[in-house]
Amino acid sequence: MNKLKVSHIFETSVWIVIIFVFFAFSFEFDQEIEIYIFGATGWPRTILGILLLVVLGNFFQLYKKGSQEHHGRIGISEDDESISYESFKSVQKLIAILLLPFLYSLSLKPVGFYSATPFFIAFLIMLLGEKRTKWILANTLLIYFLIILLFMVLLNAPLPQGNVSPFYDFSAFMLTINTNLHQYFNF
Amino acid sequence: MIDNFLAGTVALFGDPFSILIFVFGVIGGMLFGAIPGVSMLTLAAILLPFTANFDPAQGVMLFAVIYCTGTYGGAITAILFNIPGAPENAPTAFDGYPMTKNGQSGKAVGAAVLCSAIGGVTSAVIMMMATEPLANWAISNIGPPEIFALVFFGLAVASSVGGRTIWKGWISVLCGLMIATIGQDPVGGINRYNFGFADLAAGIAFVPAILGFFAVSEIFVQAEKKAIGKYVAPELSFDFPTIIELWINKIAVVRSIVVGFFCGILPGIGATLAAFMGYGEAVRWSKNKKEFGKGKLEGVISSETANNAATGAAMIPLLALGLPGGAMTALMVGVFQMHDLEPGPMVFYNSPELIWIVFSAMFYANLSILFIGLIETKTILYLLKIPFQFLAPMILLLSSIGSYIGRGLVLDVMIMFGAGIIGFLLRRSGYSIPGIVLGIILGKIGEQNFAQGMQMVHYDIFEYLSRPICLLLIVAGLLTLLAGVYRAVSFSMK
Repeated sequence: MNKLKVSHIFETSVWIVIIFVFFAFSFEFDQEIEIYIFGATGWPRTILGILLLVVLGNFFQLYKKGSQEHHGRIGISEDDESISYESFKSVQKLIAILLLPFLYSLSLKPVGFYSATPFFIAFLIMLLGEKRTKWILANTLLIYFLIILLFMVLLNAPLPQGNVSPFYDFSAFMLTINTNLHQYFNF
Repeated sequence: MIDNFLAGTVALFGDPFSILIFVFGVIGGMLFGAIPGVSMLTLAAILLPFTANFDPAQGVMLFAVIYCTGTYGGAITAILFNIPGAPENAPTAFDGYPMTKNGQSGKAVGAAVLCSAIGGVTSAVIMMMATEPLANWAISNIGPPEIFALVFFGLAVASSVGGRTIWKGWISVLCGLMIATIGQDPVGGINRYNFGFADLAAGIAFVPAILGFFAVSEIFVQAEKKAIGKYVAPELSFDFPTIIELWINKIAVVRSIVVGFFCGILPGIGATLAAFMGYGEAVRWSKNKKEFGKGKLEGVISSETANNAATGAAMIPLLALGLPGGAMTALMVGVFQMHDLEPGPMVFYNSPELIWIVFSAMFYANLSILFIGLIETKTILYLLKIPFQFLAPMILLLSSIGSYIGRGLVLDVMIMFGAGIIGFLLRRSGYSIPGIVLGIILGKIGEQNFAQGMQMVHYDIFEYLSRPICLLLIVAGLLTLLAGVYRAVSFSMK
C-alpha cells in the first residue's frame, strides 16, 4: 500500500540532489595518485554509491510503511515529526530563531565578537519569549560580563575583533582594558 | 610497578605547583565538560600555549587529568540537556536525558559519577600493569588493515543506534562519512569539495561539527517547543542510585570496562567508539531491549563506564607508539612537541619519571571524580533551574567560542550554526545525530587506514582477509549489516 507523503518525496529528492551534486563536484579533483590506485575520488564515490542504494531502500520503506519506526530501535530522539504549528507567528518565530545565530556568525568578521554579542544575546532572549525589558537588559549584561570575564580576562582567548570601524575600535578598547587589568593585578 | 607508582605519587604531590596543576586540571576538566557548549577540548586548546612554561611531566599530566575528568563532566550535559560534552558522551544521552525528563536526573548523574570513577580507576590500574606488554602486542598485531576493519565494524554497529529506522541510521553514518571527505585526501593531499573556500582545505573540524549537531540542534529543538508552547522544563531531582541498583548492573560495568579498554587501546579510535560499543553491547545482552532509550539506568552505566575505561587505554598507543587515540591525546602530542619530545617507546627509557607521574595523576584524577563529582553534582543539577531563555544564549555563545578557538576561523562558527540547522531538520525526520558525528570522526581515520592497508596487502582482498583480526572484524561487521538489511526488508514486506 502506498503510504508516501509529499514530505517523503521531498526528503528523498533532497538526498538524491545532494548525491548528484557531490558526484558532479568529484570530477573537480578526479586525479590519479601514483602510489594509490583508487585515487582521490575512489573513497567518496564509493560512499556516494552506497548512500544512493540506502536512500532508495529508505524510499521503499517510506512507500510501504510511511514514517513507521522499526521495532527495537535504540537511542531514538523523541523529536516528534508531527509537531504542528497553530499560528503563522510561531513559524515566523522559529525561522527567526534559526536564522539569528547564523546572522550573528556572519557578523563576527566585520563587527567582531565584542560588539555583536550583546545584541545577539538580547535578541535571542526576546525571541525565546522574554518580554520584560528590565530582565532582557539585566540578563544580557550578566551573560556578556560572565563570558568576557572567563574568556577575555581569565583565559586571554583570542576572539574575533572585527575589521570595520567603529566596531574594531571598540574591540581595541576592550583589549586595552584587559591589558590594563592584567598589568594592574600582575597576572 | 608499585614502586614506580609510589615514586610517581611522591613526585606529583611533593611539588606544590604540580598539586596546583592537578587540582586545576580536575576542576577545570569537570567544569568545562559540564558547561553546555564548551568541552574539555576547548579548555585544552586554550591551555596548550601555557604548557610551554611547565615541565614536560606537568604539561602532559595536566592534559591527562583534564581528559579523565572532562570525559566524566561531558556526561552531565548529556544527561541534563541532551548535549553531550564530547562525542564519547553521546550514548549517555540516549538514556540519561529520558531519565531527566522522567524526574530521575540525580539518579542518572549519580550513576555517571560512580561508573566514570570505577571505569577510570580500573583502566588506570590496567594501564599501569599492561602498557608495556600491550604496546608490544599492538606493535606486532595492529596495523592499518586492522584499524580499518575496526572502524568498519564500529560504524556497522553505530548505524543501528539512533535512527528511527535502520535505513536512516545508515544514511546518517554515510552522511557523516561524506562530510569527512571534505578537505585534503589523506594519501595524495588533493583538495576535495572545498567549494571555493580556502579554509575548507583543512576539512571540517570536528569540534564545530559536534557542537552544531548536538548543542545547537538541541537548542533549536527546545526553541521550537517554546515557540509553539510545548516546552516543559526538566524536573530537578537529587535522588541518587541505591547500592542495590548499582549492584544489579555489575555485569554491565565489567563488560563496559572490557569493551572500553579494548577500544581505547586501538590508535585513532578512542573513547567514542568505546562508549557506543559499551552501550550497544548492553542492549545486545539485555533481556529488556525495549527499555533502552527510554530512561534505563543500565544505558548510562554502560556508556559512562566504557568511555572512562578508554581514557587509560588511550594513553597506551600515545605513550608506547606515539599514536594519539583521539582529539585529546592528539593535543597531548602537541605538549610533547612543545618540549622537543616525541611520544613513543623511547619515552619509557628516556623519561620514565614522566610516564609514572602521568599514570599516578590519572589514577588520582579518576578517584577524585568520585569525591568531587558527588559534592559538585548537586550544584550542577541547579543548572536545570535556569530558565531556558537565559540558558540558550549562554550555550550558543560558549559553543561559538569553542568552535572559533580551535582554528581561529569565523568559518567554523558558521559551520557550527549550519550543522545546527541541518541537525535540527534531520532530527525532526528521524535521523541519527550520533551516527553522523561518528561518521565524521571515523571517516578520515577509516579512509587513511584503508589506503595504507590496501597498499600493504598489494590490493589483494584475500591477503587482507588472511589477517585474523581483519577477518573477524570484517565478517562481524558484514553480519551486522546483513542482519540489518534482512530486518529492514522483512519489515517493509510485512
